[in-house]
Amino acid sequence: MHLKAPEHQVAGHIAKDGKPGPLVDDKGRFFKPLQGDSRGEIEVKFYESFSSNTEVPDHIRRYFPVYHGTQAVEGSDGAAMIVLENLLSKYSKPSVMDVKMGSRTWYPEASEEYIQKCLRKDARSTTVSSGFRISGFEVYDHKELSFWKPDRKLLNGIKVDGVRLALRKFVSSNTLSDTSSKPDSAFASSVYGGSRGVLTQLLELKTWFENQTFYHFNSCSILIIYENESIHDDGARAQVKLVDFAHVHDGNGVIDHNFLGGLCSFINFVRDILQSSDESTDN
Amino acid sequence: MLKVPEHQVAGHIAKDGKLGPLVDNQGRFYKPLQGDARGENEAKFYESFSSNKNVPDHIRGYFPVYHGVQLVEASDGSGKLPHMVLEDVVSSYVKPSVMDVKIGSRTWYPDVSEEYFNKCIKKDRATTTVSLGFRVSGLKIFDCQESRFWRPDKRVVLAYKADGARTALRKFVSSNSLADDSVPDCAYASEVYGGSDGILVKLLEVKAWFETQTLYHFNSCSVLMVYENDSGGDERRAQVKLVDFAHVLDGNGVIDHNFFGGLCSFIKFIQDIL
Repeated sequence: MHLKAPEHQVAGHIAKDGKPGPLVDDKGRFFKPLQGDSRGEIEVKFYESFSSNTEVPDHIRRYFPVYHGTQAVEGSDGAAMIVLENLLSKYSKPSVMDVKMGSRTWYPEASEEYIQKCLRKDARSTTVSSGFRISGFEVYDHKELSFWKPDRKLLNGIKVDGVRLALRKFVSSNTLSDTSSKPDSAFASSVYGGSRGVLTQLLELKTWFENQTFYHFNSCSILIIYENESIHDDGARAQVKLVDFAHVHDGNGVIDHNFLGGLCSFINFVRDILQSSDESTDN
Repeated sequence: MLKVPEHQVAGHIAKDGKLGPLVDNQGRFYKPLQGDARGENEAKFYESFSSNKNVPDHIRGYFPVYHGVQLVEASDGSGKLPHMVLEDVVSSYVKPSVMDVKIGSRTWYPDVSEEYFNKCIKKDRATTTVSLGFRVSGLKIFDCQESRFWRPDKRVVLAYKADGARTALRKFVSSNSLADDSVPDCAYASEVYGGSDGILVKLLEVKAWFETQTLYHFNSCSVLMVYENDSGGDERRAQVKLVDFAHVLDGNGVIDHNFFGGLCSFIKFIQDIL
């Protein structure tokens, strides 16, 4: 089994300083190290529950990575890893964005220390104001023919206008590193729009969230992926996936109002960009 | 001649020389402008809202009608104070059951003082605000078996957890004796919550507006539910009104995701009862 570090990870833990990071193989699988202090356990428990939950409709199941159990992997000190579908394996030049959903990343069951840490981070970012924050993204620059990623520190400090700019850059073809050029949003309608675009997928998820009381997806992200190779001929093949379930808890008969509110806000941001780009192409 | 409202379930009460709202016998509600900018903020909201052309008419019906500000003799004897003049939402009812539900998984909002933030978050975490996205602030239900109003103590209401909130919502539409621990019969659930003009339909209309409106953020606002118990009338005349706008802010192009999430959760609770 040939394992290597994933190429396009935009958020979350990476392999650094001897600490294990995620790995991918050449068979479309993603190996995620089990995080310490019960988070890994919670994530496994979620995947086990979710895979066997017959009440989750099939069309919703496709928004979640396929789960392949846990495995001890060589080179990671025999530590168990969660084996998942590698969401990027079918893409050759993917642009990826990670959006953490919800107007709070803490939850009642968390420790006081964790709650305070989250409150600070939520207030500093767009989480409190907008109901979500962009954790990271990487986009293919069609002029420079290379991937561009904004500075992590800069991203952490953005406000609402910065979010809109990032969402535009994410679907643009012009040189992104140049801050003076306006993003052209050239791929807005192929990525965000269309019958299978990001907006349609998010709306499907939203309908499920209005009723499902199985899980509270605390601190989960929505990953947006699309293909840049032959985008003009073959389309963007945009995909929305929910990821990162280390803090998921039982819904206990209550809907995940925190995630739902944030998701609805995010949908509005995407819709605004789609509409303004449609208007500009009409001119 | 102004008097203390009979059916107020939450907020400051004009009793025992305290400053609170008053009503007249012409369907108007006089709310004293509270100190520290909140009163000003609420009046500012009503002024903005009444003249905002972007609010659809059918949504306007879910807000009390605003009649400006008037100097009125205050309930605490401190002389003439400015009062907001609003529609008295319960004035046309003979025996109204009323429930006030504060919507949103947080009652605080960005840029408040640390003191206010701490006060809010403590209350939000102690009640069902954080867990359910809403909390019952007050209720007064007409018990038709006992033929009188039942009103639980405010401290009991604030101590509700998810089950308490659910039970309160069931009791709200029940005919059996409310004071004891008998299981609420939800006899009026389909008349009050259900039907083509019931509370659920109204809440869904409000929800649809909140999916896209970016005009206002309704921090710490409540949904007031009212219906008639008077056996003389045929209809329940269930009503939904949004109230308490002291902490409303501009939406600034972002939807009120806090209110929206809480409202959806509240709607699910009502749907489950139906």
